[in-house]
Amino acid sequence: MGMPISHIMTSGMSGIRAAGDLVARMQLSKSMRVGEAKDYVAKKLDVTTDDLSDEYVMRELREDLGIGVITSVAGAPKGIAAKMNIEKLLDLNINCCDKFRKQIA
Amino acid sequence: MTEYKLRMGDGKRIFMTKEQIIADLKEGMADAADLGSIPDLSEDEIDKLVDILTMPSRMVGVEQGMEVPVTHDIGTIRIDGDQGNSGVGIPSSRLVGAMMHERAFGADTMELGHIDYSFKPAKPVIAQEMQTMEVCQQNMVVPLLYGAMPNMGLYYTPDGPFENPGDLMKAFKIDEARQSMEHSAEHLTRDIIWIMQKMMASGSDGVNFDTVGAAGDGDMFASLHAIEALRKQFPDIYIEAGMAGELMLGMHGELEYDGVTLAGLWPHEQAALVAKAGANVFGPVVNTNTSKSAAWNLGRAVTFIKQAVKDSPIPCHVNMGMGVGGIPMLETPTIDAVSRASKAMVEIAGVDGI
Amino acid sequence: MYFAEFMIYMLSPYEMVQLIVLQAQTLVDRLKAKYVGGIIISKEEMFKELSDAVITCKKDVVTAAVEKAKGEGIPAPEIIEMGLAVGMNEVGVLFERGKLFLPHVMMAAGAMEEGVKLLEADMPKDAVSKKLGVIVNGTVEGDVHDIGKAIVSTMLQSAGFEVHDIGRDVPLQNFIDKIKETNADMVGLSALMTTTLQGQKDVIEMLKEQGMRDDIKVMVGGAPATQAWADKIGADCYAENASEAVVKAKELLV
Repeated sequence: MGMPISHIMTSGMSGIRAAGDLVARMQLSKSMRVGEAKDYVAKKLDVTTDDLSDEYVMRELREDLGIGVITSVAGAPKGIAAKMNIEKLLDLNINCCDKFRKQIA
Repeated sequence: MTEYKLRMGDGKRIFMTKEQIIADLKEGMADAADLGSIPDLSEDEIDKLVDILTMPSRMVGVEQGMEVPVTHDIGTIRIDGDQGNSGVGIPSSRLVGAMMHERAFGADTMELGHIDYSFKPAKPVIAQEMQTMEVCQQNMVVPLLYGAMPNMGLYYTPDGPFENPGDLMKAFKIDEARQSMEHSAEHLTRDIIWIMQKMMASGSDGVNFDTVGAAGDGDMFASLHAIEALRKQFPDIYIEAGMAGELMLGMHGELEYDGVTLAGLWPHEQAALVAKAGANVFGPVVNTNTSKSAAWNLGRAVTFIKQAVKDSPIPCHVNMGMGVGGIPMLETPTIDAVSRASKAMVEIAGVDGI
Repeated sequence: MYFAEFMIYMLSPYEMVQLIVLQAQTLVDRLKAKYVGGIIISKEEMFKELSDAVITCKKDVVTAAVEKAKGEGIPAPEIIEMGLAVGMNEVGVLFERGKLFLPHVMMAAGAMEEGVKLLEADMPKDAVSKKLGVIVNGTVEGDVHDIGKAIVSTMLQSAGFEVHDIGRDVPLQNFIDKIKETNADMVGLSALMTTTLQGQKDVIEMLKEQGMRDDIKVMVGGAPATQAWADKIGADCYAENASEAVVKAKELLV
């Protein structure tokens, strides 16, 4: 376990502590290089690219946007609900959200 | 003369002077440049590597603003897996493992894989895999891929239906060995597609091909064809393809993809083909030599990966697990070595992720 | 040849004289090379031709080169050692550098074997069919990894060792039995998992228990194996990759 945690601490974007999941999602969905992905997400969130790894900025913003936070805030969107908000925010479709929509249609 | 604390490729503590570090860095760099026919690092880049390796703090970090996504292979097995999987053996479900990575460790993406971690053995347990993927997707926020190794060796006797090319080759039955690899590749491609059809039906964000080419060029051939087919079938699927080693082993020697012979490709040459097949993220690998110092290994790895990043049309998430990417070959790799290699890959090789 | 004759007709008388002088000089040089103490140069050229023939990985090219070398009167052991074997070493280097692949290595080895067959009658009796050494190679019990070990076996075989590859997931006692059966000089123990690495140590202990340890060299390899591990368990050597396995085996056995 020391290895992945060391990488995250040294170089990572901290996942949903900040906005690492969003940048990674743009890389994985649209093959964006890291700079392009950061620019895209920063623009959508109306923050600077540095803010994307800043827990102070992202903590409140994530809660406001309902895109999932690291602590178990009661009533805050989690799982698929949070990802449905991410879809709208980043202007993309997420497979499990599509499946969920079909199930409740 | 001041000596700095470094590591050997097997993780053992060593002490080196600055001159020795520079000499090893340059030797490692020259080895990569020679093998890959790629440029050396610049003097500034070597100076920066020296700075990183000689920093007194136990752990180092990238400059603020340079952080990159850290993706995960082997996934939840790390928590509940056994020693053979480098797991720490904490009894837990895979959902718990995935959520621990997301919420406790700050992982940027996550992966679901099964304990045997190859595509072929996922077939008999596919319903379990599908159900687990559904449950994980319902609870998680970060991108969650299904991950497994193509591992074409499982299609050879005694594990599979096709005669072992290793045995055929030793008997000088080269054509038969090649045919066996070609048949195995067809089956592997078919299995990967079938498994991912099921996983996509269960809400997976996509697939992580872990250790492409472990069984040589046939393994890569099958994987590229699977990537191509999956991209056609699922235009929005996330596909990450991580390699098994720095050099594509020519077990067959004549297999081509898009008119390019796969055998003998180095990371910067593999990238274009992986992108052409339809992957979103490429995971280049450089092997760690356990008999050389961290300086030698890092100089070599950064030289290779920098070129791969430059030549790749898609993001590069460098493989930096045990024994690759300048990381020592040790189950418990030392934090000082991991941290330095990580920083060097981001700041000098310019990787898009890890 | 026709082109050369045509060129002569195109030359001026002065150029023709120059050409004749040049050709005469070349002939003298060649004669010198062959008969006036220059036979080493001629041999070197022949060795290069033999070595290059092996690198083509083609049987007919190798056998033709061997016949030619025999015709030149070069002794059979020299044809093998200074020509064919040098070519085979180069094949190993090219494999390591990703320029030649496993089938090529095998084809080159097969071609070399054909070449050696042509020389057997001319070889000293004790040298005929002499292998560099006998090696038992396998992946230890519990470990199903096969490919890396198979490459090592192939490279050792093509380097001139008699290799008995006993497969993967091999019960440890089978290593002992095969060593006895083949009177092996070396045993190669592969393990790709940290959990199965212990099997390498266990085989060494079994060799000691049966009083066989002093008569056999032990090589260990596989991803989690390191030099430190080899030292710890008392192996004779650790090889990082297939090419290094050949080098180490030669160091210990030849």
